[in-house]
Amino acid sequence: MMQVLSALASLKLTLLGMVLLGIGAALSYGNPVETSIWVLVMPLALLAINLAAAILTNPRINRQPGLLVFHVGLLGMVVLAGIGRLTHLDAHLEIGKEQAFSPELLMDVRKGPWHAGALDKVVFTQGGFTVDYAPKLRRGLTHSQVFLPQPDGSMLEIDVGDDRPLVLERYRFYTTHNKGFAPVLTWIPEEGERVSGRVHMPSYPLFEYKQDNHWIPPGTEEDIKFWLQLDTGMTLEDAWVLDGRNSSGVLVVTSGDQRVELKPGEETQLPHGRLRFDYLTTWMGYRVFYDPTIQWLFFVSVAGVFGLGQFFWKKLSLTAWTDDDSPTDNNNGTANKRGSV
Amino acid sequence: MNIVAEQPWLWAGLLAYLVATLVAMWGLSPRLVGSESVQSHRHERIVLGAIVLGVLLLTIAIAVRWVRIGHGPWLNLFELLMSQLWSLGLIYALLYWRLPGLRPSAAIVMLVMWILGSWVLLLEPADSYFPATYYNVWKWSHVGLGKVFLALLLAGVGLGGVMILRLTERGRRWFRAMPTDAVIDKLAWRLMMLALVFDSLMLITGAVWAQDAWGRYWAWDALETSAFFTWLLLAVGLHIRLSYKVPPWASGVMIISIFVLAFVTYFGMPYVSTVAHKGMV
Repeated sequence: MMQVLSALASLKLTLLGMVLLGIGAALSYGNPVETSIWVLVMPLALLAINLAAAILTNPRINRQPGLLVFHVGLLGMVVLAGIGRLTHLDAHLEIGKEQAFSPELLMDVRKGPWHAGALDKVVFTQGGFTVDYAPKLRRGLTHSQVFLPQPDGSMLEIDVGDDRPLVLERYRFYTTHNKGFAPVLTWIPEEGERVSGRVHMPSYPLFEYKQDNHWIPPGTEEDIKFWLQLDTGMTLEDAWVLDGRNSSGVLVVTSGDQRVELKPGEETQLPHGRLRFDYLTTWMGYRVFYDPTIQWLFFVSVAGVFGLGQFFWKKLSLTAWTDDDSPTDNNNGTANKRGSV
Repeated sequence: MNIVAEQPWLWAGLLAYLVATLVAMWGLSPRLVGSESVQSHRHERIVLGAIVLGVLLLTIAIAVRWVRIGHGPWLNLFELLMSQLWSLGLIYALLYWRLPGLRPSAAIVMLVMWILGSWVLLLEPADSYFPATYYNVWKWSHVGLGKVFLALLLAGVGLGGVMILRLTERGRRWFRAMPTDAVIDKLAWRLMMLALVFDSLMLITGAVWAQDAWGRYWAWDALETSAFFTWLLLAVGLHIRLSYKVPPWASGVMIISIFVLAFVTYFGMPYVSTVAHKGMV
């Protein structure tokens, strides 16, 4: 058994694992779709086995507390990163002002097979937002208003944005550059129930030049096209604040040959019913991130580095930094002894 | 050409570094063997004084720019080079002061500094815009730890360069006042050990910042991939150095390779990817 462990603890295997990990990292650059996760998992698994065997058998590691903590920390990080990938969730969310969060709103969801977060317990309502822009449309601070229900029935208003995520049930909601306007519409069909909803226009001001979208009313094949003419006060030359409260818009509605411009509160008759432009609102795009291991990863990695620091500190303080400061004629010196630093 | 307020201070700082470089090189001259100046280490005091003066002048240059544009030197290449010239000078001055054994290698180190110095002179001191995600406090520790890491590597490069140059007769004459290769090698790898600690901490704090700023702690973008390669190469180098008998010149090549990779990470990656550290549109 010890022979097997010693073979697995081989330093040559460590170097091979590191080279393979380097190749895996190179292949993973930019997260290309065609690259399998296994290019990282395999070398990491090899290094983890090699490291575990070395921890058990190599006295240079297991008899030196600092080095032991560092290598156990490395092993812990590999295990935690693996658990993180199995339990993670990454997604995007577009949520309108005054809209309550619902898990069905998540888009582009990618999650690990063991993901078991309590997403259904996440409750909040989106408010408005403001984004500061410097001249030349350089984005500054984002302030997104979020309302959280309190036990007494009241709503707690909090401000999130940029590096201040909303954290609920370990899900982290980060504001993104993706945000914009949404006309709230009511469709009154000739027969059946009226429906209300919002049409999210493309991200603003990134797609300021193409604020359009389309919608097919239920039970019809009528493709209604919308174009939103916005007045937000945006200028390229001056600083500016994107704020839905200071913005207005005219909605251009096109259906077949019919084209009409609607202001908030106005409506128009279309072939299969009436369409009312109720009011203009905003939507905010979030990146949603869930990984229950991130705090543990932080603590384990910091502990590992402090272990390494302790080991080096002890090692470096035992002997003078330069044992021989005197000039020497034998400047070829002697080759270093193995393992001596 | 439009000269902005910080440029005269920058030029003065670089001039001080030039004096340090020339005096350090002058101190290597074989003709000075036995001279009073070299025997009394007076030229080393001039080198140290010139580096410290350069650091002070660069401090003023950075402060003037900070006041002028409202934020620190974190964004464009001009700012990155200026701030690295400052921190590399500061930390190397401390090492130069505390570790007499490495002093003659300042001729190599200051030449490398002058690559940065020449580069910054070619750049426009364009104003930069401070992204929202740069207000994060983790950025400070990430940047600070990275500066210590690069300075330790730079000091190692000086020693690695000495071990390589000593393969030649001329190199042996230049660096005659330094300890044996075995001692230099040991000192160089001690600096590499410390570099590994600071590199690791830089990556950890960078990951925390990335989590806060962009909602993920690691995403294999250009900068992260290159930084990981640097960490891995450093770890490989240390394992090789601790486990095999490595000739001093090869040791020097390993150290310089690690520095080159770190250099590319710091100053080459901004050309490949501007997104990771500049916030999104």
